[in-house]
Amino acid sequence: MVESQDFVSLERFQFESGGSIPELRLRYETYGHLNAAKDNAILICHALTGDHHCAGVYSMDERKQGWWNFMVGPGKPINSSEYFVICTNALGGCQGSSGPGSINPETGKPYNLDFPKLTVRDMVRAQTLLLDSLGIDRLHAVVGGSMGGMQTLQWAIDYPERVGRYIALACGARHTAQAIAFNDTGRQAIITDPGWQQGHYTADAGPGQGMAVARMMAHITYLSDVGMQSKFGRRRRSSAKEHFDVEFEVESYLRYQGQRFVTRFDANSYLYLTKALDRFDLHGPESLDATLSAVTAPGLVVGFTSDWLYPPQGNRELVEALLRIGKDASYAELAMDYGHDSFLVRAPKLYKLIRNFLQR
Amino acid sequence: MYSKHTKKRQADFQVIARWVGEGERVLDLGCGRGILLEYLKQTKGVYGVGVDIDFDKILSCVKRGVPVYQGDVHEVLGSFQDNAFDRVIISRTVDQFEDPDATLHEGLRVGKRVTVGFVNHAYWKNRINAAFLGRRILNEVYPDPWYASLPANPFSVVEFEDYCKVKNISIGNKVYLAGDWRSERALLPNLLAGYAIYDLSKAG
Repeated sequence: MVESQDFVSLERFQFESGGSIPELRLRYETYGHLNAAKDNAILICHALTGDHHCAGVYSMDERKQGWWNFMVGPGKPINSSEYFVICTNALGGCQGSSGPGSINPETGKPYNLDFPKLTVRDMVRAQTLLLDSLGIDRLHAVVGGSMGGMQTLQWAIDYPERVGRYIALACGARHTAQAIAFNDTGRQAIITDPGWQQGHYTADAGPGQGMAVARMMAHITYLSDVGMQSKFGRRRRSSAKEHFDVEFEVESYLRYQGQRFVTRFDANSYLYLTKALDRFDLHGPESLDATLSAVTAPGLVVGFTSDWLYPPQGNRELVEALLRIGKDASYAELAMDYGHDSFLVRAPKLYKLIRNFLQR
Repeated sequence: MYSKHTKKRQADFQVIARWVGEGERVLDLGCGRGILLEYLKQTKGVYGVGVDIDFDKILSCVKRGVPVYQGDVHEVLGSFQDNAFDRVIISRTVDQFEDPDATLHEGLRVGKRVTVGFVNHAYWKNRINAAFLGRRILNEVYPDPWYASLPANPFSVVEFEDYCKVKNISIGNKVYLAGDWRSERALLPNLLAGYAIYDLSKAG
């Protein structure tokens, strides 16, 4: 069993954009024990709509385990018997860390759109403050997939002295036009929902329809054509009566995912986080090679063949640049049918790869 | 500790290691489990990068701490600038390249030198296999029958040297190994050498 904790910094937190918030809160979970030398910590960074609960359960009667329960735990590839594993809810998120939905202590109201513009670099800097408070100077490793992979790369670039090694899964140096297009379609679904009210919705009346549609569409980009076909095919439900009732299993699945998202995620957080991802660009300000030249830690980047959101090419590009400038970096590619979500599913080959890299 | 098979697999390691300079930047195309690069790292302090297409080989390289890139040998060369490496090593893989000329050419662009090691298919025992038995080689190095092997493009010492001449590639060092792939020999290499290793550079 695990429980989450809150790190609170009462110092004003400055964002890269110039904005600031009077205090910073990060919700996090840890697994395993920090050793006396404080050098066995592994930081895990979650994906866009993930959270700090990556392993274990909160109570004995809870069925749902953390999102990376296959990967993290005693004896698992990221072995909490050996390492002190930390996972934080990202800055800008909505599961306990400071984000647009948090109460601004200066006004007593939610920040909503007054929350400063957010970047991946801000998310990472917030995590450094938590590590400072835990007395951890240097991480054994930083690991993350998707948005977590981008944070991982940002860690290796901004804090080379604090990163022992890094593993970035299913990510890239920047969004393709297609990835931005998908994100903006989702944002438009939310923003044009009358319930959004310029971001000033209340907990019981928000842009629910927009959120559900945004999630349905985004969810398609996390799967693959082949994966969806084998999971749903054209299977039908018998209950459909009206013309536009749920007829196919895949519709049912996506509508369920959409509805569930409305209750578990905050619309403004979704807008802020997707914008941060769209703006993330390691090719700037000069070039990818120049940006990555700050990296000193050995890295492992993993692409997945059926990932069409962050395709293998974008993952390869990172390692090609790292090798070009003489860094210790490796690229591995897994042939899996689960699309972008491949890094989240049971995959013994991936476990072995991560185990090997953490122990090298 | 080492089987005879392992020794044969690593036949060209000693020769290649002799040619590799201290602290060189080395790219190993078809690096397998990364044993050569690990050896060069330990003995010569090289910055070595391996390339292989097979995930299981990548796993071994990662375990050894050898930087490795999973992908197509020819495609990855395109991402490197001219002379990005001091040496590109092509050990026992050139006969499996889809377009050997194009890949060797790219290797010579990306590397200041290209070290190529290959099995001489004109070695007398191989000739006997082909001429008298009418069969391809089947031994500890080539243990699989044709139907379980990768498509390969066997060639001989003279054919390779002809190629270098035609393409204006200069051959620096070269070593011919006897049929046991251990002792070096210089006499009648096309007939008596089981294995050949060349150090190539752009003619200049």
